[in-house]
Amino acid sequence: MASDTGPHKAISRRDLFFGAGVALGSAAIAASGTAAISNSVLAGKPTAIGTNVEPFFGPNQAGIRTAAQAHGVFAAYTLNDTATVDTVRGVMRVATIEASRLCAGEPGLSDTDPTIATVPARLTITFGFGHGLFDKLGLGSRKPEGFVQLPSFGIDELRPEFSGGDLLIQIGSDDPITLSHAHRHMTRVISSIGNPHYSQRGFARASGSVNPDETPRNLMGFKDGTENPRNDESFDEQVWAGVDSGWFAGGTQLVIRRIAMKLDPWDRLGPGDKEAAFGRQMVSGAPLTGENEFDEPDFGARNPSGLTVIPDFSHIRRAHTGDPTHRFLRRPFNYDDGFAEDGTANVGLIFAAYTTDIERRFLPVQKRLAEFDLLNVWTVPIGSSEFVIPPGVPAGGYIGQQLFDS
Amino acid sequence: MKTHRMGAVAIFVAALAVLTGCTNPVTNSEPTVTVTDAWVRAVPDLAEGDMTGVFMTIANSGTEDVYVTGGTDTTGLTETPLEAHEVVADASGEMVMQLAEGGILVPAGGSVQLMPGGFHIMYWNLTKPIAVGDTITLTLNLSDGTTIDVNAIAMTLDGGTEKYVPANGGMEH
Repeated sequence: MASDTGPHKAISRRDLFFGAGVALGSAAIAASGTAAISNSVLAGKPTAIGTNVEPFFGPNQAGIRTAAQAHGVFAAYTLNDTATVDTVRGVMRVATIEASRLCAGEPGLSDTDPTIATVPARLTITFGFGHGLFDKLGLGSRKPEGFVQLPSFGIDELRPEFSGGDLLIQIGSDDPITLSHAHRHMTRVISSIGNPHYSQRGFARASGSVNPDETPRNLMGFKDGTENPRNDESFDEQVWAGVDSGWFAGGTQLVIRRIAMKLDPWDRLGPGDKEAAFGRQMVSGAPLTGENEFDEPDFGARNPSGLTVIPDFSHIRRAHTGDPTHRFLRRPFNYDDGFAEDGTANVGLIFAAYTTDIERRFLPVQKRLAEFDLLNVWTVPIGSSEFVIPPGVPAGGYIGQQLFDS
Repeated sequence: MKTHRMGAVAIFVAALAVLTGCTNPVTNSEPTVTVTDAWVRAVPDLAEGDMTGVFMTIANSGTEDVYVTGGTDTTGLTETPLEAHEVVADASGEMVMQLAEGGILVPAGGSVQLMPGGFHIMYWNLTKPIAVGDTITLTLNLSDGTTIDVNAIAMTLDGGTEKYVPANGGMEH
């Protein structure tokens, strides 16, 4: 009996993923997505969305350069007081095996729910190490350059339940059940060294509903991420630590900020006021001095009454330091947790910035925004965390080995 | 049955086969039984119990059914022979684990999955803890006289707490 369950089915499903599935996945989405998807639905087969696989192994961890999935979670854990380099290393070995299996559409070795582990839907599982992990393990001197804790800003109303964390597991998938299962399984896998601290769930556009190359919009209706790196060169410059970074080469640093949006007063603004707050046009995303989304903003341009066209208090003016190294990848998810106690919308952004160096590249921008940005009227940071994202590893390696084995 | 003796005999036969270059089916260099996805429940603290279970997928590409009859630890964790176990419902419906009578069947041309709550290879009398991420090594004994080496990585497992019932009932009062 037992031989008829599990392995045979798993193997045939796997063949599907790595054979027809992947070809169908990437090619179909890019070209004639809708036709291919509805055909496979009619044929009673898994859709390309379900069978799409993102590679787990490689020089950088997945889930960063990866186009944002429809669903994401940032799960932070508190390291036990008894954790040591040896116990963390052992758990990371196992966690790497389990994560790589799940991302390939295979149940984990110790998976208690293998029936919901076979629809990867571009699942990525990314590990991060917080200040507490380095400090508790006596590895404080191994923190990468520029990995600093953000100072507290006047605009902050940080809550401990959305801040800090020693170990991060960032998970993304186009399927929310896959995401939920991976989250639960990975939490079990690391349970011998860490306890849950927070779990921030977010979402982007559903897979296939918009062109994936399009800059996503946030819940305020504006495009968010126009200035993001989009090619190898800019990722190497802004995101991935260089070869001279020791164990950290190929890694990155992550800042997560939970930004509550006061959408009720925001909704009462007219389009002109909203555009003035951002410094961009709502529809095209172009700077107020331009026609197209990717036009360079002209901060010197003035209107007939002598005021700058892009207001000095606007978000893009304040975020622009004039230093070209002050750029990073933004890969946020939205959250919508219903109504707050006062009946207002409990919605916002799980802002996630990936940078080679938090102190030199991210902090200068964050400081300017905290000092003054008209958007601060409608946004409140209520959570803040920093994590080192270790480099990726080849198959057979484990995440963190460059740190723990050197 | 002294399962570790069978293992020794198999190793002896294998050595003989290498020396004589013979192609006895017992020592076929293309084994028909293969093990994948092996893992063991970590026991970081022996105070929580000095036993554990090993889980894996065992496939048999041959034309004859094969049984896993037991095994031997090669990690230095226990002197006690490893046992092939099953989990079944007893008369009252409670799930209990016991020796798999005749071993665990690996059907010809098929496979069997050893998993928590089902078939497993049982370790008794652990003398050292097994930390999460450790790899242990063991040798399984098969009913055709061959053995198979297994590496299993240690993972956290909650549950798997079925009561042990000796097959002969001799230890019950």
